[in-house]
Amino acid sequence: MDLRFSKEDEDFRSEFRSWLDTNLPQDMRTLEWWRGKSDDEQFQIRREWEAKKAEAGFAGIQWPTEYGGRGGTPTMKAIYDEEMAKANAPRTVNPLGLAFLGPTVMAIGTDEQKRDIIKPLLHTEVIWCQGFSEPGAGSDLAALQMKAEPQGDHYVLNGQKIWTTNAMHGDKIFTMARTGPSEGSRHAGISMLLVDMHQPGVEARPLKQITGESEFGEVFFTDALCPTTEVLGGEGNGWMTAMLLLSFERGSSAIGQYTEFRHQWAEVADLARTLDRDGKKAAQDPVLRQRLADALIDLECLKYHSWHVLTQTSQGKDLGFEASMTKIMWSEAFRKVSDAYEAVLGTGFQVPDPQPGLSLGELTTMALWSRSCTIWGGSQQVQRSIVAERVLGLPR
Amino acid sequence: MKFQLTDEQRALQDAVRSYLRDKFGQQQVRDLYENPGTDGVPADLWRAVGEQGWLAVLVPEEHDGIGLGLLDAAVIARAFGAGTVPGPWLGTLLVGEAVRLAGSDAQRKSLLPRLAAGELKGAVALLKNGSSPTPAGAPATASGGTLSGRLELVEYAGVADLLVVAAQDGLYLVDPAHATITTHEALDRTVRLNTVVLDNAPADRLENSTPVLHQELLDRAAVLVANDLVGIARKALSDTVEYDKTRVQFGKPVGSFQAIKHDLADIHLAVTMAEHAATYAAYAFDIDAPDKQLAASIAKAKAADTASTSTGAMIQYHGGIGYTWEHDSHFYLKRSKRLEYQYGDAAQHRERIAQLALDA
Repeated sequence: MDLRFSKEDEDFRSEFRSWLDTNLPQDMRTLEWWRGKSDDEQFQIRREWEAKKAEAGFAGIQWPTEYGGRGGTPTMKAIYDEEMAKANAPRTVNPLGLAFLGPTVMAIGTDEQKRDIIKPLLHTEVIWCQGFSEPGAGSDLAALQMKAEPQGDHYVLNGQKIWTTNAMHGDKIFTMARTGPSEGSRHAGISMLLVDMHQPGVEARPLKQITGESEFGEVFFTDALCPTTEVLGGEGNGWMTAMLLLSFERGSSAIGQYTEFRHQWAEVADLARTLDRDGKKAAQDPVLRQRLADALIDLECLKYHSWHVLTQTSQGKDLGFEASMTKIMWSEAFRKVSDAYEAVLGTGFQVPDPQPGLSLGELTTMALWSRSCTIWGGSQQVQRSIVAERVLGLPR
Repeated sequence: MKFQLTDEQRALQDAVRSYLRDKFGQQQVRDLYENPGTDGVPADLWRAVGEQGWLAVLVPEEHDGIGLGLLDAAVIARAFGAGTVPGPWLGTLLVGEAVRLAGSDAQRKSLLPRLAAGELKGAVALLKNGSSPTPAGAPATASGGTLSGRLELVEYAGVADLLVVAAQDGLYLVDPAHATITTHEALDRTVRLNTVVLDNAPADRLENSTPVLHQELLDRAAVLVANDLVGIARKALSDTVEYDKTRVQFGKPVGSFQAIKHDLADIHLAVTMAEHAATYAAYAFDIDAPDKQLAASIAKAKAADTASTSTGAMIQYHGGIGYTWEHDSHFYLKRSKRLEYQYGDAAQHRERIAQLALDA
C-alpha cells in the first residue's frame, strides 16, 4: 500500500500544471467567460486551445511517441485527467477519437491509416464522430441496418445514425454499416468504415437535448461515398473491430470524473450553506445533511476505486469487464450529487436565480446532463447484465 | 501508487482464511448456535488466535507484539467477518489499543505483553446504546477514582479479565471482579452479550487519556467493525451467487433472471466500494492521513448499509431455504445486525461526515 505518486509522475504533474498556468488564462476557467458565445464560437476556441496543448506535448498521454503521443503511463494519464478537471480546462473536442478510434487504429490500422488519422486527430485538425447507434439499434447494436454497397472502388452508404456527439462539428465519422450478408449471424457482414462527412450524401442535423443544448445530433447518409480502402480492420470484420474499439475504454480510471464531481459537491455544499430553509440554513437540515453525506460517500468510494484501477493497469493487468463497474460507479455518483443539488434547491430548482446574487444555470445543466450518463456508452441496465454475467459468472 | 495489500498482508489473510477453513468452519459456528449456554469462546480457536499473533498485530515490538498497523488488524477482522468467527478477539484488541494509546508506561508494560499473547481477555464499554460515536456517548460516570453506571450489551464481559470503560473524563481500566455481570440471550449466537453494572467500582484511569485519543479509539473500533461487515457482505454475496447459478425454476437457473442478476450486480458494486472504503480507512490511520476521521465514517456507513443489503439479499435469493435455521444465511444476517449499529450506525456516521465536510 502506497498512495504516493513516483517522482517522475509528480514531475509530470508540475510540468503540466505550469503549462496550464501559462496557457489557460484564469478567466477562461470561469463560466462567465464562455457565456454569450455561440456553440460554434465555443467549439472553435476549444479546438484551437486543444491544438496548442497538443503542440506543447500534452496530448495522447499514453500513446506511443512514434504516433505523436507522450509515451506516458496510466498514472500520468490519470494525473493529466485530474489536472484538467482541477483547472476547469476546456473539454476535448475529439472525445470519441481519443478514447476509441486512435487506439484501434494503432492496434489494427494499416500504415496509411496510422499516418493519416492519428496525428491530425491529436492536433484537432480532424474532428471524429462515432456512428454506431441507429434509431432501431441502441443498446442492441447488432440490430444496425445502415447499408454500404460496394460499387467499384467505393461503398455507397444509405441509412441513419443517431445520438452522434459533435455531429454538427464533425469532419469524419467512424461508422458501422452492413457491407455483406449476415449469413445466419447478426454480427456477420458488418464493416467499420471511415467516412468523410463533408460530402453531399451526408447530412448532420442537431438534436435538442433536455438541457436545451445540441451537443449531439443525427447523421443521414443518402448515397454517400466511402473509398473501399477506408475500412478499419477489414471488410466484414466490423463487429470484432467494434468490440476491440470499445475495449479500449476499459483501462480508464475515473479520477477525472471524481475530480469534477467532487468540485460540484463542494459547490452544492456552498449553496446549502447559503440558502435558507425553515429559519436555518439548508446545510443544517438533517435530511439534506444525510443526502449530501451519502453522495460524498459514493464519490470518495469512486476515488478509491480509481486508485484500484490505476494499481491494476500500472501492473499491466487487463480489467476486462470490470470496466462496467467503473462506468456504473461514476455515473451513479454523479446522479447522487445532482439529486442532492436538486433537493438543496427544492422549489428553487425551477429557476436559475432562486435568490438574488445566485446564478445556477450551469449546475442545473449538469444535473440534467447527469441523466444522460446512465444511458450513453452502455445503459446502466446493459452494464448490470455485463457485471452479473461476465464478472459474477451468472448464467445468461 | 499501489492501492492493494502488501505481500505480507496477503500472507496474513491467507493464514487466517486457511486456519478457518481447516479448523473453524460453519459446523463449529453451528455448534455455538445449538449451545447458547457455553461461554462462547471455543478453546482451540482462542489458543490459535494467541499463538498465531492475531492479538499481537497492533502491540509494539517493545511490548512483545508484532507492531503492525490497523490495516493488518483489518485483514483479520475481514476474514473473521466472512467466517462469522466468535470470541473476544475484537474486545481484547481494543483493550490493547486503549492501553497503547492512552496508558502510562507502567500500564503498557504490565498489560500489553499479556494481551498480545492472549493470556488476558478484554472487553470494552465505550458507548451507551444508540449513542453517536463520540466521547460524549460514554456510558459510565467517574467520581473519586471509581466508576458507576449500567453498561449495556458489552461483548464478552462475562469472560473478560479486564474491562476498558469510557467515562465523561476519559478511559478507565476496571477489574470485572468489581462489577455485577448478567448475560443476555443474543440473537447472534457467535457472541456473548452482557450487562455490566458498576456501583462505585474501583477503576484505574488510563493516565494519558484525552478526548482526542478517546475519539481515536472509537474510530479505530468503527474501522475494524467496518472490515468485519465487508467480510460478511462479500461472503453473503458470493454464496448467493453460487446458489443462484444452480437453483433451477421455470426451467432456468434463477440467477439468469434480470430481476435477480441486476440486484446482485448492484450488490457486487456496493461490496466492492465498501471494501475499498474499509481498506483505505484502516490505512488512513496507519499513515495518520488528514482525512482519517472522514474515512472512518465513510467506511462504517458504507459497510453497514452494504452488509444489511447483502445479508438481506442472501435470504431473499435463496428463497424459503434461506429462511430456515438449518441454512447458514441467518449467521450472516444476525452478525451483520449486531455490527451495523455498533460504534455508530450508518445515519450517525453520515451526520459526522456532514460535520466534517459540510460544517467545516
